[in-house]
Amino acid sequence: MATGGPADLTGLPPVDRALPAPRLALGGLRVPALALVTATVALLALAEVGLVLSQPAPGPRWALVLVPAVAGVYLVAGAVAWQRRPGNRTGPLIVAGAVVWVIAGAVNTTAAPLVAAGLIAATVPFAVVVHLLHGFPSGRLRGWRSVGIVAAGYVVCVLMQAPLYLFGEGPATLLQIADRPDLADAGRWAQWAVGSCVMAATAILLERRRRAMAPARRHGMAPLLAYGIGAVLFVPISGQVAVVASASPDAVLALVVAQLAVLAGVPVAFLAALRRGGFPRTTGLANLATWLGTAPADRVDVAARLADALGDPSVQVAFWLPDPGVHVDLDGRPVALPPPGSERGIAAVRVGGRRVGAIVYDARLLGEPAEVAAAAGVVALAFDHLRLTAELRASRVRIVEAADGERRRIARDLHDGLQAQLVLLAMEADRLGDEADALRGGLRTAIGELRELAQGVMPAVLTERGLGEAVEELAARLPLAVRCDVEPLDPRPPAAVESTAYFVVSEALANTLKHADAGAVRVAVAARGDALVVEVSDDGAGGARPGGGTGLRCIAARVEALGGRLAVDRAPGRGTRVHAELPCGW
Amino acid sequence: MRVVIGEDDALMREGVGLVLRRHGFEVAESAADGGDLVRKARAHQPDVVIADIRMPPTGTDEGLRAALDIRASHPRIAIVVLSQHVQQRYAAELLETAAGGGEVGYLLKQRVADGATFCADVRRVGAGASVLDPEVVALMLGRMRRDPLGRLTPRQREVLALMAEGRSNTGIAKALVLTPKAVAKHVAHIYEQLGLQPDDDEHRRVLAVVRYLTG
Repeated sequence: MATGGPADLTGLPPVDRALPAPRLALGGLRVPALALVTATVALLALAEVGLVLSQPAPGPRWALVLVPAVAGVYLVAGAVAWQRRPGNRTGPLIVAGAVVWVIAGAVNTTAAPLVAAGLIAATVPFAVVVHLLHGFPSGRLRGWRSVGIVAAGYVVCVLMQAPLYLFGEGPATLLQIADRPDLADAGRWAQWAVGSCVMAATAILLERRRRAMAPARRHGMAPLLAYGIGAVLFVPISGQVAVVASASPDAVLALVVAQLAVLAGVPVAFLAALRRGGFPRTTGLANLATWLGTAPADRVDVAARLADALGDPSVQVAFWLPDPGVHVDLDGRPVALPPPGSERGIAAVRVGGRRVGAIVYDARLLGEPAEVAAAAGVVALAFDHLRLTAELRASRVRIVEAADGERRRIARDLHDGLQAQLVLLAMEADRLGDEADALRGGLRTAIGELRELAQGVMPAVLTERGLGEAVEELAARLPLAVRCDVEPLDPRPPAAVESTAYFVVSEALANTLKHADAGAVRVAVAARGDALVVEVSDDGAGGARPGGGTGLRCIAARVEALGGRLAVDRAPGRGTRVHAELPCGW
Repeated sequence: MRVVIGEDDALMREGVGLVLRRHGFEVAESAADGGDLVRKARAHQPDVVIADIRMPPTGTDEGLRAALDIRASHPRIAIVVLSQHVQQRYAAELLETAAGGGEVGYLLKQRVADGATFCADVRRVGAGASVLDPEVVALMLGRMRRDPLGRLTPRQREVLALMAEGRSNTGIAKALVLTPKAVAKHVAHIYEQLGLQPDDDEHRRVLAVVRYLTG
């Protein structure tokens, strides 16, 4: 597709083809490296095919090209994985596997040094598979156990292979120092024993890791791990069985073909797992930059775009508010960053050395922190812009919280200070004679009014027992039949949400009492998803009322400050319905 | 009658102590927070514990919780809870612990100012009755009037209200200018309306009140 062509008519940024995106990925080095390596390995494999075909062979000639063919499968799968996920080491590792296969395949040539190299590398492909299994999905080894097991795998395949070629039977090679079939046999059994331990340890560790994964990821893991482990075990076991059973040459050939097919399936399985489900294709940082340049700046879904660019659907963003010293989401709600050392990685986002936020990603999936850091650099300015929005939203919530705090303090002061003093005065008055009756009566009234005042400012029961009991007490004091359906809320919503919901109910009930001439009122409070839904409905007159609803407008502002909304439905003859939704996922 | 007082405000603590002593109570000790109150009540085993509902450390309903604690380990200690504010739910929770037979009171704090009435209430609780603040009773009666299912006659409501305030049948008879026999008949009708089985009389008096409080 040509840029500037018909695609521009859509008004969308030509994201996909506008730039040779991968070239910019991480310093511009990876893509040329990928091309160079792929071409070199492909040439080597082809050279090997040429070599083995140019010589006389005992069996069918096509059998000779099987090993270079497997190398080719590794090369293609590895190159695709590498190109799609430049920050993931699985691709390069599979390509390295292709190199190992080319070397192992050299055993079928006639040149003595190549044969020697082939003998040495004969079992290394197994170690590469073990390495791939432990590294999945990022391609990096995590934890000393994995490092140890993979290292042991390489030791088994490289060092413990030595007795086989040093003392092996058959035609003399460059490497053979003695024709000692007994030593070679002992070496083979030792290699087999230690190799089995490596595979058992691998199986246990990976199963444990699989269980710890998020269910969505875990789903695709089992077939891959089972296949990888099965492949590594199947090949040596079937080989041993063939030797013990002294199979016919035809049967041996069939077995070799089967073994190679199973091993060739390994990189394909890894590639498929990388691309499937939780491991989608990355769109690259250049596309991210293009998008940032054209997207509307107000409310942009930077997390989703980062997820696309990095190929990690679990990406989350957090904005740093230096004043309260917390991270918040786009709605201004505080979010906790994962602890260091967990499976979630954190990349700081900075503008000119100033901290503006963090990108939280799957550290197992994106093994290369530098890649996320590069993405953080690309989005930093947009991030800072969004941070201001988040900060504004957070500050509106804080204003509501501060107002509530003040109300609580005033109510407490009225109770503990003024009311206590009045009660003490009344106790003094109690000791006076009958002539103080009026004084006593006045004090009683004053105490009663003060009590009602404090209750209206912030009812103690709301703080102490929560929304349900506060609404019930409120309803009990009204000269109206109020039906309360308040769902038990566990855990309790944040204090600002509770008090706002309470004021919605109290204002709506007060309006009903004043204007509606209603016979029955219903209050319903329920959690719906991430929000608290409050509804007060009556069977009164409904309809517009002159000068009514100023109180509700104040409450509505409060609801909106918390990111919620309040609607009043006042159709004439159908009563009044006040409906508020308050997000409380914080 | 021996009492232990739980009240965090020092002046108020002194004041309550003074009023009680003036009316012939022995104040064994005073406590300033919930934990201290529980300890001192257990140590002195008074006839009555008088607790402010709001005390440190939480400053919420610490006093009520301390009272419930004391009830649980020493059911024979009578409890009077003082509150700046009447809450039906608190009253109901307190009454529900009175299954052993009365011995709880729930009063507004300002009632302390009327020393004679307050001390009479405390004495009644100490003697095994349950006493509710007239304001709680008023709330309750308000609800009964609005309750379309309220099957009690106005006279029965009056009797129930006085029961809630901790009056005996004789006391109710005196207040309503009825014969004790007529009161007993009303009380029996109330039990019947509320579906309470005729067993322990004191217990049922409390249950009748709880039934209406918890609605």
